[in-house]
Amino acid sequence: MRPMTTRWREQKRSISGLHAMTAKEPVKRQQQPPEGGWGWVVVGALFVVSCLVYGLIRSLGVFFVEFVQYFGETAQAVSWITSIGLAMQQLFSPLATALCNMYGTRPIVMIGGLLSGLGFILASQATSLTHLYLTMGLISGIGWAFIFTPTVGAVMQYFTRRRSLAMAIGFTGVGLSSFAFSPLFQFLLETYAWRGALLILGGMSLNMVACGALIRPVTFTKAMEKTVQNSSLLSRLSVYFELPLLLQRPFLTYGAAITFFNAGYFVPYVHLVAHSRTAGFSEYQSAFVISATGVTDILGRVLSGWVSDLGRLRLVHMLCLWTLLLGLFLLALPLGTMGGYAGLLTTSLAQGLCSGAMTPLVFAVVPEIVGMERMLGALGLLQLIESIGGLLGAPLSGWLKDTTGSYSASFAMAGGFLLLGSAVTTTLPGFCSCAVPKAHSDAEGGTPMTEEPKEKS
Amino acid sequence: MRLLWGFVTLSLCVYHTVAATDPQITATPGDEVFPGNETSVTLGCSITDAPSPIKGSYWTKNGEKIKNTETEGADATTEYSIDKITNTAGGKYACVFDTQPQSIKEIEVKTPTHVKPYKESEHGNENDKGVLTCVSHGYPLPLDWFWFKVTGDSEVAIINGTEKYEIKSTPERTILYVKALDMTADMGDYVCKGDNGLGMATGQIHLRVRSRLAALWPFLGIVAEVIVLIAVIFIYEKKRKPDEVTDGSAPLKSNSATNHKDKNVRQRNSN
Repeated sequence: MRPMTTRWREQKRSISGLHAMTAKEPVKRQQQPPEGGWGWVVVGALFVVSCLVYGLIRSLGVFFVEFVQYFGETAQAVSWITSIGLAMQQLFSPLATALCNMYGTRPIVMIGGLLSGLGFILASQATSLTHLYLTMGLISGIGWAFIFTPTVGAVMQYFTRRRSLAMAIGFTGVGLSSFAFSPLFQFLLETYAWRGALLILGGMSLNMVACGALIRPVTFTKAMEKTVQNSSLLSRLSVYFELPLLLQRPFLTYGAAITFFNAGYFVPYVHLVAHSRTAGFSEYQSAFVISATGVTDILGRVLSGWVSDLGRLRLVHMLCLWTLLLGLFLLALPLGTMGGYAGLLTTSLAQGLCSGAMTPLVFAVVPEIVGMERMLGALGLLQLIESIGGLLGAPLSGWLKDTTGSYSASFAMAGGFLLLGSAVTTTLPGFCSCAVPKAHSDAEGGTPMTEEPKEKS
Repeated sequence: MRLLWGFVTLSLCVYHTVAATDPQITATPGDEVFPGNETSVTLGCSITDAPSPIKGSYWTKNGEKIKNTETEGADATTEYSIDKITNTAGGKYACVFDTQPQSIKEIEVKTPTHVKPYKESEHGNENDKGVLTCVSHGYPLPLDWFWFKVTGDSEVAIINGTEKYEIKSTPERTILYVKALDMTADMGDYVCKGDNGLGMATGQIHLRVRSRLAALWPFLGIVAEVIVLIAVIFIYEKKRKPDEVTDGSAPLKSNSATNHKDKNVRQRNSN
């Protein structure tokens, strides 16, 4: 049954391709993403971007010790710096993708690189914690928004068949750099004091401007043939921001799903150390659990990307599967801890693997749901929507810990959110079919959606 | 008259109740314990005149119950051993007997002063302010803190409130601010001393002063590298595919069409 449908789909695509070639209308965008070739360079850009955005954020802890002492503030007040930075990154994502729709991805990412570098350079001259909030938090955060989601979108535009693997390889930057950056930042602090170290980090962040330069345009700025050039500003803005997506059921369903994912996903990162210390394990044992989980996280990303691209199961099904497993392992974590150090370690490793595995899929699935044309805007909006999950999950888990006295309730809650999100994913339209359904936007006569070919590579 | 009689009876009853719930608990080795150089110490409580039958007992430290110290039974004595005397062993311990109402006796375990630098080496920038911190984790906490600067073989006392130095102290920590750091004069070792009445303890911090410009050179190096990278990327792009950059659709369209044709041929042959 399958080979026949595959061939039919291939012929259909080739016919429409021929039509596009012979038709007199200007082609809005390329029909086939250029798998491989320059695409892998863009993956390299995504790798560097992951390092310099999320890897950097994860390793800022060593600076916080200095800030607490120098400014005489509490650890909680200092931790607001990263909270503001991450919040800006998610809040300004829709704006970033809208600007990309208007002007193209390359200039936006380059501007983002400049902003993130500028934030750290200005931070090196700070005389109060508020200055750090404004520079490292606000300015760099907006820079990260202009960089991260557009680069992810660019990689997705370059790949169809190997999309998950490309994303996975790109994201390994986060894990690998957090291993390297911690000792590096410590060295910078000791050699140059925190002001000098921040200045150098600003310079390092400027490398992301070069990453932006690497993103050669594949698709062009969103064609305005559909909406009249002279139509009102509001309607043009709504097209750039992809606001009509907010009214579509598939998008909203997926938005709800990733909000739930986000509510549970970060709990292990925040609470695992404290949980293992409370269970009575030593500092070294706890640190080892974290490092080992970091390794399985990286492995999970690459594994998931490679397996997904083999094409046995649809991406949505893989995502559902991995999030289901992650939810179960999160629920199992408190139980595993009761089984001693070995139990904690195994459940933790499994949880790390599933966490890493779902990360590339969460992004790679988006074109399946909204179509390639709207993918960039959708990514931006989703970043904003999922921030609600993050804002909900972290304080809730902390409150559960304070009221129940142990972290078991927090992990149970995280597992519950993951399972809930997994269940919501099953309600996506066309979930039960083996073939990828046409995305909503295609019904309006847009370009045919690129699909997952089932032939083996 | 009846009112007066009622009042007297009431006050006698109250006095009786108060007197009845005043248990005598003897603490060993005493109300205040100074472990000093010993490696372990055993605290003991022995209750007489319990207000009600004893159901059990447990120990607390600084208000929090200590795990695994709960015993059940009518034992009028209870013991708690502190196996390892470190600076954290000190505190306000209490034995609690489960009676109606609870009978509690507090025992203070006082260890010698504990002083530790927050960070053993500090780095500051020229003309910036340097911050040196010492903390104490022990009981009792120091009443007095002192700072000294090591010059040669001797220690020079640092006075609070000058243009150069400011000291802010609380029992748990002391902070020395050195303003307008000078690379030659202010670099070196600083000593903090604290005394909680049971002896003086010291901590040493090494302060390094870095030039403001020190980080500037690597920074400029990185900026130069970024500019070179961007220039190379754009020049490479212009040289490699000039038509792709200037004119968009046509070449790409022909590429994709070629791909389509190839794929079709492959498909038909294979099937």
